[in-house]
Amino acid sequence: MKIRFWGVRGSIPAPGPETIRYGGNTSCVSVHTASGALVIIDMGTGLMHLGNTLMAGAFGKGGGRASILLSHTHWDHIQGLGFFPPVFVNGNQFVVWGPGNSSAQLEGILEGQMDPNFSPLQSLKNFSARFDVRAAPLGATFGAEGLRVTAWEHPHGATTALAFRLEEAGRVFVYASDVGYPETGPTGDAIEFYRGAHVLLHDSTYRPDDQATRRNRGFSSYEDACAAAAAAEVERLVTFHYDQDYSDDDVDQIVAACRRTLAPRGITVVPAREGDELEI
Amino acid sequence: MKVRFWGVRGSIPVPGRSTNRYGGNTSCVEVRPAGEAPIIVDAGTGIRRLGKALMEDAFAAGKGKASILISHTHWDHVQGLPFFSPLYRAGNQIHIFARQRDLHLEAVFSQQHHAPYFPVPLSAMQADMHFHELIEGARFNIGRARITCARLNHPWVAIAYRIDVDRAAVVYCSDTAPFTDLLLGRDFIEAPKLGTLPPPVREELDAMRAGVVALARGADLLIYDTQFTPAEYTSRPHWGHSRPDDALDIARTAKVKALALFHHAPMRSDEENDAILAAVRESSRAAGDQLAIHSAYEGLELTLGDNP
Repeated sequence: MKIRFWGVRGSIPAPGPETIRYGGNTSCVSVHTASGALVIIDMGTGLMHLGNTLMAGAFGKGGGRASILLSHTHWDHIQGLGFFPPVFVNGNQFVVWGPGNSSAQLEGILEGQMDPNFSPLQSLKNFSARFDVRAAPLGATFGAEGLRVTAWEHPHGATTALAFRLEEAGRVFVYASDVGYPETGPTGDAIEFYRGAHVLLHDSTYRPDDQATRRNRGFSSYEDACAAAAAAEVERLVTFHYDQDYSDDDVDQIVAACRRTLAPRGITVVPAREGDELEI
Repeated sequence: MKVRFWGVRGSIPVPGRSTNRYGGNTSCVEVRPAGEAPIIVDAGTGIRRLGKALMEDAFAAGKGKASILISHTHWDHVQGLPFFSPLYRAGNQIHIFARQRDLHLEAVFSQQHHAPYFPVPLSAMQADMHFHELIEGARFNIGRARITCARLNHPWVAIAYRIDVDRAAVVYCSDTAPFTDLLLGRDFIEAPKLGTLPPPVREELDAMRAGVVALARGADLLIYDTQFTPAEYTSRPHWGHSRPDDALDIARTAKVKALALFHHAPMRSDEENDAILAAVRESSRAAGDQLAIHSAYEGLELTLGDNP
């Protein structure tokens, strides 16, 4: 699996000189499988830039297909959809797997994003590409572009978000953004879900001091991320979903703190940064 | 009055190196009459930073008052509102003005703030929020400022605002298509064929243009949607945006003193914006206009009229 970061920021895009190095776009990660298939995780504003790149290949000619895994439907995780050029090309095919009691419910939520009060697109029906929306089964493994995927629901403030475990030929990538553990930290069942991942991408929104005053928002601190990585004995931890108010220098300090914690355990820390690639 | 740009981008925020000088935040302009509360036009992502700046004075103590004029509720013009810090402080008075269409304004904004799209419902905001629904031609006062508005040529509904105060006038005219080829009161998704117009549409477009010209008449500053190049307009006329020449035409006809190019396309780099500005200045000079031309960037502040 080849992982690439297109958006790494939490809550709202944060343009500005102080976010240039890590990037200000909201959550979007692409995974290219060994066979060259494409899985996209989350549809934040980073999705537009992924889409612009894809248009140079098969997606520009209507011959592209991808599965999209959606953690939850807060705006920062869906905002890029209307600006993803491949959905306007006839012939392309997408399957979205996300949270919902039913596929119709999830599709209705994405349709609401296109409401004419908010978007000139007005409806998903105006996409030219085939765009299937499916509620991801919880606990049961499903296939996406040849990967084995399992979804796990964790608390996220007053709601929940899905984490995804992607497996290909024994290699494991876990995406766990927007995770709000109880004050005691990562729970045993979450750790089992992450167990042995080669790469664990984990919500690292806050420093512990900021998390303490914003518990109800349902995000992790970088200490939660380190605790999860250590307990699940992963190989590499990717820090992700930085608070919109954190500058590049703030993120540098978060990464350095994670490295101090995890280096003695032999776990490598890789900060998510727009444009960077990571191979498993 | 002072006019300050906090977000100048159209459609979607674009963080990154190539947009860093002009800025990647979506539409938000602060108009500050001398000695009075801010009048904010649009609540794109730029309003987040404005909110933080406001929290350095009366708003932190819950004694702030602000009015927000919304051109329309497309996401790039309202996305910043849930991140506007003064809303989270009891005592602050926030007035929101917009033209609604099918839903009451408060319902539209509630939908934006509500699960499953956002964690904090509008009803949980501590500040006092007041919604004011406008119709075309509405005239009202905010403090000493006189506000007037006019309908624009944009999908669903959008309006332009004029603010007169301190013996000066600023006009905010974003988002609109030119008043030439198609009428966006009905909503196109497929690009229409440009060409002939049935007479009633022609008349309605002429009336809309006349309304905008009247609104902008003699203004000290006209802020205008110039998202498109001519080629982009030809391929996407139904998106409801203008070209620099459309802005120049209105500026010239309305005899405004200064024009600010605004609502830059998301993928437009700083260098491309520089080149567009140079070309527009050159073409305006060649036409003999007496017109100052700016290309709006985050942090640009202009002083108009009296400022004791």
